[in-house]
Amino acid sequence: MKLNYRYTIAYAVISFCVLLIGFAIVYAALSRSVTQATIGKLKHLNEVVAAQLRSGRNYSQHPARAHVLVRRAAPTDTARHAQLVQVRDEWDASLQSTVSVVRLTTYPVVRGQRFWITSKAVVVEPSDVYLTGLMLVFAWTFVFLLALVVILSEVISWRILKPFNAILRGIQRFQLGQPTTLELQPSRTAEFNVLSDFLVTMTTRAQSDYQGLKEFSENASHELQTPIASIKAKIELLMDSELSEKQLLMLTAMHDELERLTKINQSLTLLAKLENFESQPATLTDMSDLVQATEAAFADLAEMKGLRTTLQLVPEVRVPLDVALAQLLLNNLFSNAIRHNVPGGEIHALLSPTEFTLRNTGHAPSVPVGELFGRFKKGNAALDSIGIGLAIVKRIGELYGHQVDYSYAEGWHTIRVVFAAPAV
Amino acid sequence: MKILLVEDHPELAKSIASYLTQEHYICEVAATFDEAREKLILFTYDVVLLDIMLPDGNGINLLKLLRKDGVESSVIIISAQNALDFKLTGLSEGADDYITKPFPLPELHARIKAIMRRRSPHKNNVLTFQDLTADLESMECRVKGKLLNLTRKETNLLLYFINNKGRMLTRQAIAAHLWGDYTDNLDSVDFVYQHVKNLRKKITDAGGKDYISTVYGLGYKLNAGD
Repeated sequence: MKLNYRYTIAYAVISFCVLLIGFAIVYAALSRSVTQATIGKLKHLNEVVAAQLRSGRNYSQHPARAHVLVRRAAPTDTARHAQLVQVRDEWDASLQSTVSVVRLTTYPVVRGQRFWITSKAVVVEPSDVYLTGLMLVFAWTFVFLLALVVILSEVISWRILKPFNAILRGIQRFQLGQPTTLELQPSRTAEFNVLSDFLVTMTTRAQSDYQGLKEFSENASHELQTPIASIKAKIELLMDSELSEKQLLMLTAMHDELERLTKINQSLTLLAKLENFESQPATLTDMSDLVQATEAAFADLAEMKGLRTTLQLVPEVRVPLDVALAQLLLNNLFSNAIRHNVPGGEIHALLSPTEFTLRNTGHAPSVPVGELFGRFKKGNAALDSIGIGLAIVKRIGELYGHQVDYSYAEGWHTIRVVFAAPAV
Repeated sequence: MKILLVEDHPELAKSIASYLTQEHYICEVAATFDEAREKLILFTYDVVLLDIMLPDGNGINLLKLLRKDGVESSVIIISAQNALDFKLTGLSEGADDYITKPFPLPELHARIKAIMRRRSPHKNNVLTFQDLTADLESMECRVKGKLLNLTRKETNLLLYFINNKGRMLTRQAIAAHLWGDYTDNLDSVDFVYQHVKNLRKKITDAGGKDYISTVYGLGYKLNAGD
C-alpha cells in the first residue's frame, strides 16, 4: 500500500472519531438547552401565576392556568428549595405517545400563605426530531472532509514526497555494474537529505568494492593463464621423454586436470569479460548464415554420436548481436545439444525473425531447469562438463536484451532465445 | 629457420624454446620489450612469437613499431587474453595469427608451419612421411600413390600427425587443433578417438602401414614403425 494511502486512511479514521465525539457533544448540548429553555418558560409562567394569586382575582379560567396546578401548602410544609424541576417520560393522551414532560414547582408566599405552583410542559426531545437531521449534517461533513483529505493527501504527499520518490527512482535505476553513480537532488526535508546522503555514500562504496572485486577476479584468472601454460608445456615436454607406463599415466592425469583448470579459468575470464562488455545494439548479425555455419561445423560431431539434425531457417534474419558473441552463443548451445543428447537422438534448430529455438532429446535434468543458468550448475553430474556454458549464453542474451528460456518436457530439452527488437 | 620468442615468463619461455629447438628451429628468447626491439633491429627472424603483456611495454606496440620499420617477419601473438578479446577488439591486427595461453606445444608448431607455408606458397607443397604424401594445395593425401578418400577433418588430422611425427599428441591437443574454438564445451576427446580410428582404417584399407600408434590410450603418435 502506498504511503499516502496509509496516511489517508489514518486521517479518515481520526476525523471519523472526532466527528463522532463532536456529534455526541452537540446532541447532549442541544438536548440540555432545550430542557433549559423550557424550564425558563415555565419559570416565567409560575411568576405570572404567582402575580395572579397576589392580585386576588379569579384567574382559574385564564389560559395561563391550562397546565398549572396551584394548591395551598400545608402549614407543616416547608420549602426546602426555591424551586423543584422534574423531567420524566409520561404517556400523553393528547399526543397519544410517550413524551418527555418537564415539571417546575415553585413555592411563592402570597399574603402570608405559601403556595405550591407546579407547571408542566411537553418537551420535544432532540432524539425525536433533531437526531436524523444532526446525523445527516455530520455524515455530509464527514464525506466532505474525507474527500478533502483524499485529495489533499495526494497533492501534499506528491509535493512532500517528491524528493523521496526521486530517491526511489534513482535506486531502481542504479546498477552495480554500470559506471553511472547515483545522483540525488538535495531536498528541504532533513530526513530525506540524510537518506540520500547515506545512499550516495553506500552506492559509491559498493560500486568501488564491486569494481575492485571484478578487476581482481579478471586479473587473477588472467594472471593464472601464463603459469598454467608453463606447466602444460613442461608436461608435454615430459611426455615426449622416455617414461614408464605408470609415469605416463600419472602425467596424463595431471594433464587432464590441468586442461579442466584451464577451461574453468577461461570461462571465468570470459564471463568477467562479458560483465564489462558494452554492447552496441546497432550492430546486426545475420543469424541465418551463422546458424547454418555452426550446424555444419558441428555436423561431424553430431554424426559420430548418431544424432539427426534438422534445420528450419528463415533466411536473412538479422539480429542485434556482435558476430563473435553470436558465434559463442551458438557454439555453446549446439555443443550442449550434442553433449547432453542420447545416442541416436535428434536436434531441431528453428530460426524465425523473432526467435531461435534449439530442441534436443536428452535425459531429464537432475536439478530445476532454471538453476542451470547459474555458474557451475550441471544437469548431469556424470558428464565431464564445467557447467558454465548456459551462464555465458544467458549473459550474452542479457547484453542485447534477448530473452533466453530453458525448458524440459517429455524427453526434449528446449532452449528459446527470443530476440529483442533491433534498435532503430 | 629462425624464431624470436618474446615472453617474460622465464619457465614458459624455456619450455617453448626447448620444444622448438627439438623441432629444429633456431629459437632465441627476449624477455622484455627493449630486448626484443634490439634483437629485431640487429637480426632477421622468420617468425616472431609475441607475448602482449611485457614488463616494460605492450607487445601490440612492438608489433606496430615492427611494421613501421618494415620488418618482414611473420608474427604470432601468444597471449593470456581470451580468444574473444581478439575477436571483439581486433587485437591481433597486423599479426599473422594468434594463439591463447595455455596451448599445446604441437599446436604452436602447426601454426608456425602453416604461416611459413603461406609465406612461400610455391616451396615444399607436399608433405611426406614414409609412403604417405599430402599435397597441401589440392589437399589430396595418398598412400603409395593411391588416393585416400578422406574427410576434411581427417585430412587435417593426418597433416597434424605428419607435422608432429614421432611426437606423442594428446587427445586434447588433437581436439584443440581440429575444432579450435568449438572444443570449449565438448567431450571432444571421444570424437578424437573416432576420427583417429577412421583415419587408421582408411590408410590400412588402402594398403598402407598403420603408422599411428596409441600411447596407452592417452594419446597418439605417428611412428615409422618397426
